[in-house]
Amino acid sequence: MKDIRYVFNVEKDDFVRAGETSSKIKKILRELGIDSSIIRKISIAAYEAEMNIVIHSLGGQILLDISPGVIRITASDRGPGIADVELAMKEGYSTATDQVREMGFGAGMGLPNMKKCSDRFCVTSSEGKGTYIVIEVDLKAGE
Amino acid sequence: MDEQYFHSVVLNEDRCVGCTSCLKVCPTEAIRLKEGKARIIGEKCIDCGECIRICPNHAKSAVTDSTDILKKYKYTIAIPSLVLYGQFPVNAGMDKMLTAVREIGFDEIYEASTGTEIITSVIKNCILKNPEKKRPIINSSCPATLRLIQIRFPELLPNVADIETPIEIAARLAKTEAVKKTGLSMDEIGVIFISPCTARVTSVKHPIGIKKSYVDGVLSMKEVYGMMLRNLNGKTKDKTKSTKESLLWPVTGGQGEFLGIENYLAVDGINEVIKILEQIEMDRLEGLEFFEGMACVGGCVGGPLTIENPFIARNRMRTLAKGLPNSNFSEEEIKAQIEMYENGFIRLTEPIEPRAIMRLDDDISKSIKKMEMIKEMLKNLPGIDCGVCGAPTCKAFAEDIVKGENRNGVCIVKSMKSFNKGDS
Repeated sequence: MKDIRYVFNVEKDDFVRAGETSSKIKKILRELGIDSSIIRKISIAAYEAEMNIVIHSLGGQILLDISPGVIRITASDRGPGIADVELAMKEGYSTATDQVREMGFGAGMGLPNMKKCSDRFCVTSSEGKGTYIVIEVDLKAGE
Repeated sequence: MDEQYFHSVVLNEDRCVGCTSCLKVCPTEAIRLKEGKARIIGEKCIDCGECIRICPNHAKSAVTDSTDILKKYKYTIAIPSLVLYGQFPVNAGMDKMLTAVREIGFDEIYEASTGTEIITSVIKNCILKNPEKKRPIINSSCPATLRLIQIRFPELLPNVADIETPIEIAARLAKTEAVKKTGLSMDEIGVIFISPCTARVTSVKHPIGIKKSYVDGVLSMKEVYGMMLRNLNGKTKDKTKSTKESLLWPVTGGQGEFLGIENYLAVDGINEVIKILEQIEMDRLEGLEFFEGMACVGGCVGGPLTIENPFIARNRMRTLAKGLPNSNFSEEEIKAQIEMYENGFIRLTEPIEPRAIMRLDDDISKSIKKMEMIKEMLKNLPGIDCGVCGAPTCKAFAEDIVKGENRNGVCIVKSMKSFNKGDS
């Protein structure tokens, strides 16, 4: 069985379109007939990944890979990368300024949230290069 | 008519010229043009009435009862939607408007305000006090929003306030009281709702969340408007019991405002409701206690079966509300209301089921295959969503073909050479 891949480009600072990619992903999964609790998890994770690219990166890409057993979201960006991934994984840790936080962003929940919503989660990053995140959610048998 | 998917929205074929106006506004992509006429796909339609509103030829309308239904009963009670008060100039007066409804031929008028006040009170004094209830609590009063949640936001079904609508509550009370008063049986008493709302018509025939509606018939406010207008000349025989709160209820924001909470969100217009539900579904609106989603612009005053412009109607309702007393319940009364809720008399007792009509196939592997075919087809379609093929978008066109629902579809744009130049 051939898997399907969807590619979404996400631009830096493009707040007008921010959220569109995760909405599209959600719609695709809904059409596939995937259980709505799983759709919710994936779309929350995808949204966090999308917003991270818009707010923190120089731009990047989100891939949605669908196979009968697993849904994978791969988010990659062109930098600047995360200096200390371990620290960034801590709930509440954020590099956002107070001003951004007041707007409701940068609560330091992005990466932890993505992890929480996934069955397998992996983040690698190198300063100056970029960040690469893989989120996988299993589809239960019979769905 | 297909019983399983009864809908109040219907097409008058003679008037439909096959333009694509309704295709474009349908929030669930439930309309296709077939043989030049707009067909509604029953299982996708949520009866929001957007197509009725947009149709330049008035080819879309709602199936409602005719006033002949009054002859079926020994005793008839009208429950006019509160929106009634916005349909006529303020100086006609609320009492006279009630009489205008009575003079259509009813024995009794029962105001829906009784229902709205009970709902506000029960949500405020009971449902909001239950920490187990998922937040935000979503209003159950807009049937189009409810149907939308079933189709697109099934994860939010537990958030819906499990309380009946004002009309249903009013109908239950009116009928129960009338049985006592007249000595007639339930079947001999007809409760007729005068509706601004297409989705409510459907809900009476096919209720959501309850076994059977106490409403026996529905008249469209549009249909009886002329009769009411003429009746306004007569002598006033009724006296309104409505309160300020109840008059503002059918206007967007009128539900959340009186719940005594800080954090509520009132949204109207089906597409805006969709956008906010998206955010709620993804936990993006932290701390939100109550969400009031109204499919029509302005709230029920913007219902597709109303005559007056929603903004004018809203203004009139506000003006009239100023002269009304505030709703005020004693502790005893509140206790009695909560009891009616807890014993199921005014509660949604049946589960509201999700309806997965967006899926391509029940089998996920087949779904994936179909999705791949759609994706491939889309590469060859112009992507301008012109609607000439009869589907609202190129994607819907591809979906219909893949699902086998459209066997002889043609993309006219694609077959025009000028558009294909760029392809090669």
